[in-house]
Amino acid sequence: MKKQIFEGFGDESYVKAVMPNGLEIYIMEKPQYSSSYAIYGTRYGSIDTKFSKDGGEMMTVPEGIAHYLEHKLFEGEDGDAFSKYAKTGASANAFTSFDRTCYLFSCSDNFYENLDILLSFVQAPYFTKENVEKEQGIIGQEIRMYDDNPGWRVMFNLLKGMFHTHPVRIDIAGTVESIAQIDANLLYKCYETFYNPSNMFICLVGNIDTDKTLKQIENSIIDRKSVEITRGEFDEPQTIVKPYVEQHLAVNTPMFCLGFKQKIATPYRRLKSKICIDLLLQIICGDASPLYARLMNEGLINDDFDSEYFNGNGYAAVIFEGESCDPERVTQEIKREINRLRVEGIDRKLFSAVKCGMYGDLVRRFNSVESLAMSLTECAMYDYSLFDEIKMLKAVSYDDVMKRFDVFCDENAVLSVIKPLED
Amino acid sequence: MSAKITQLSNGVEGVFIKNDRFNTTLVSFNFYVPMAKDTAAEYALLPFVMTSSNKQYPDFSALNFKLAKLYGANLSASAEKVGDFQLLKIAISTIDDRFSLDNESLCDSATELLTQLIFEPKVENGAFCEEDVAREKRKAIEHIRGDLAQKRIYAKKRLIEEMYKGEPYGVAKCGSEEDVEKITGKSLYKAWQKLLSTAFLRVNVISRSMPAGLFDGIAEKLGSITRENVTDCTKSTPTAAVSKPNTVIETMDIAQGKLCMGFSSELYGDDESTAALTVMCDIFGGGPYSRLFTNVREKYSLCYYCTSGLVKSKGLITVESGIEKENATKAEREILNQLDIMKQNLFTDEEFQSSIKSITDSFKSYNDSQGLLDAWYSLKIVKDKLVSPEEAAETISRVTRNDVVYAARGVKLHTVYKLLPNDKDGDA
Repeated sequence: MKKQIFEGFGDESYVKAVMPNGLEIYIMEKPQYSSSYAIYGTRYGSIDTKFSKDGGEMMTVPEGIAHYLEHKLFEGEDGDAFSKYAKTGASANAFTSFDRTCYLFSCSDNFYENLDILLSFVQAPYFTKENVEKEQGIIGQEIRMYDDNPGWRVMFNLLKGMFHTHPVRIDIAGTVESIAQIDANLLYKCYETFYNPSNMFICLVGNIDTDKTLKQIENSIIDRKSVEITRGEFDEPQTIVKPYVEQHLAVNTPMFCLGFKQKIATPYRRLKSKICIDLLLQIICGDASPLYARLMNEGLINDDFDSEYFNGNGYAAVIFEGESCDPERVTQEIKREINRLRVEGIDRKLFSAVKCGMYGDLVRRFNSVESLAMSLTECAMYDYSLFDEIKMLKAVSYDDVMKRFDVFCDENAVLSVIKPLED
Repeated sequence: MSAKITQLSNGVEGVFIKNDRFNTTLVSFNFYVPMAKDTAAEYALLPFVMTSSNKQYPDFSALNFKLAKLYGANLSASAEKVGDFQLLKIAISTIDDRFSLDNESLCDSATELLTQLIFEPKVENGAFCEEDVAREKRKAIEHIRGDLAQKRIYAKKRLIEEMYKGEPYGVAKCGSEEDVEKITGKSLYKAWQKLLSTAFLRVNVISRSMPAGLFDGIAEKLGSITRENVTDCTKSTPTAAVSKPNTVIETMDIAQGKLCMGFSSELYGDDESTAALTVMCDIFGGGPYSRLFTNVREKYSLCYYCTSGLVKSKGLITVESGIEKENATKAEREILNQLDIMKQNLFTDEEFQSSIKSITDSFKSYNDSQGLLDAWYSLKIVKDKLVSPEEAAETISRVTRNDVVYAARGVKLHTVYKLLPNDKDGDA
């Protein structure tokens, strides 16, 4: 097993170990903490609907299958994982996002016992005709719950307005129709492809012993031959689908998402560009910016207003979201401010203040075993070190941030709005 | 880890929770006032107006700029309902001085700023700044209206309104839209004065070391204020049982229905009986090992979620569930059936043990989160006593099966609230 120690930022450090089968293990000891946090993840999410294994034929699977698999993996031949965790007192969960599926637990006692449960059930799929069919009802309910969630709808309506073919436009759980096509055989095919150690990672943070933990993982991982995964290319045009999407739901105040679809040269983001865009967003519309003050004082936004850089394999966009009585006006104001700053330059004092603010946020992350474990999954997904962000942030210059105005192109803007129901 | 209490004035306590594991210091002011329809909106607005400007930082942009320069110091405001009381919280969290890149004393600057925001607001001619008040009123109204967008929250809110009509606990935590509309800069200034003289106040500090002079400084500020008729927030009125449960059904244009049920309980007050009720509620519908999860959701697929919660201050148990319209009655019946199983001592030993382990495990992790510790010490207001999460975990571990059954037998259905989808055109 190859081991590497990463050190930086005070006395914080962690180990990255790679097993011969390719499994990556990240361990950060926090001996002064009472609890620990564990994540066992695979680089497999809702957008991985087209793929081939070991150079075989490209196959297309139903939308929502990664999430379905996550649900089903909890159910093993010898009972479900939750009932095993119930014996130890751990709090366990899982989530599927666009690009990953993660199984996690947090606990104060019985860490090694819990790790055994995690390692066992993720490696032991048990899909039968009956148990796969039974899940349709529960997941169907989950999908319907999201249908009533305006915050979720406004976002996915935006993605549908921005992306023509990229599967990021589809709900993570799929649709009632798409999940009806899922059967045990398909689940096994996805499992065999993406749940191979060479495509997976384990991130552990807390009151744990690195050597003991590594030994336990080494003894528990079923050795499988590495697989070569080829993900289908996303034939996504640079243009948007339509500039405006609207839906009526039971809300009192309209909700909006304004997205600027970005042309992307490489499928994955670079850390430095993410930091620069995050800083730029704070400068454009963060809570110390002139635009934020204007929108707030004119009654156009409230505390729900936010912005983010949204990026993964084959997609990237900058998104502004919130509640507003007049989303079109907010859109105009944001576009106008971007164009003004692009020409006049950004306020140097504000640049230095938001940089300070972001540094503080990164320091704060080291307080929580959960945030650290989540940050380590980012490191695993994007191949950087936990300390790189602080280092790079310190080095970011005014000019670096000014260059990132290239992410905003008015022709690629889409506005999604949820309006109240009409009587 | 230790927590030490210092009396700073009549009804004002400083609590220092020493904890070496964090990179940050958190200081929170927790004001308790009685929950009442006439004052709820005004008091709820105060923390938000008080954290938007002050004499030194006359608008929120200047204030937010200062917070960013303090390495992203986190200033927060909230208004919550805790039993028959309103808890108004204003807190600041800042990274420790040792991480400052320019040797600035961040902790001192942040606590000084917080104290100024509380004791030296921007006041002109005996009124809060009208511009600030108008903006925060608008946001408060949007926030109140925003509940409709989150059906789960909305349904629970409606259940509580139905259960506690005319009682303090029935008042919405931020008051009503109409009451927010009535607030003026002058009325808010008066509410601020009343808050400082009558609210019970607990100041929590969670840090490696106590910021020098902070408690003395607060005591000095309070020295010039006459503290009288201080709120006694140690006890709320328990939820009374009803002879015949009430059912309320409403409809809306939604895809999934919501079923909320409220129950009264007989056990109330001391730590031991609260612990028994906590375990009973957890076996009933807490974790994934609970009766509601394993039966109503997993075995019968009647809903996507089905959980129970306990409001300790009111002895109130709630059940929340997302359901298909046609399953509403079946789900309701099954939830009551599961409660009967609790009463008849038919839950398994495994469920009982799982629950004890899960609750104690989670209490033990409180020391790893400043936010959880702050919440813990601002919600546990017991006269002359501080109970730590570890002590609470010990009390939980002493709960027996008999205690749980006894607690379950006192639980009675009070109100059922259903929010169901409208019939679509063409539906039979």
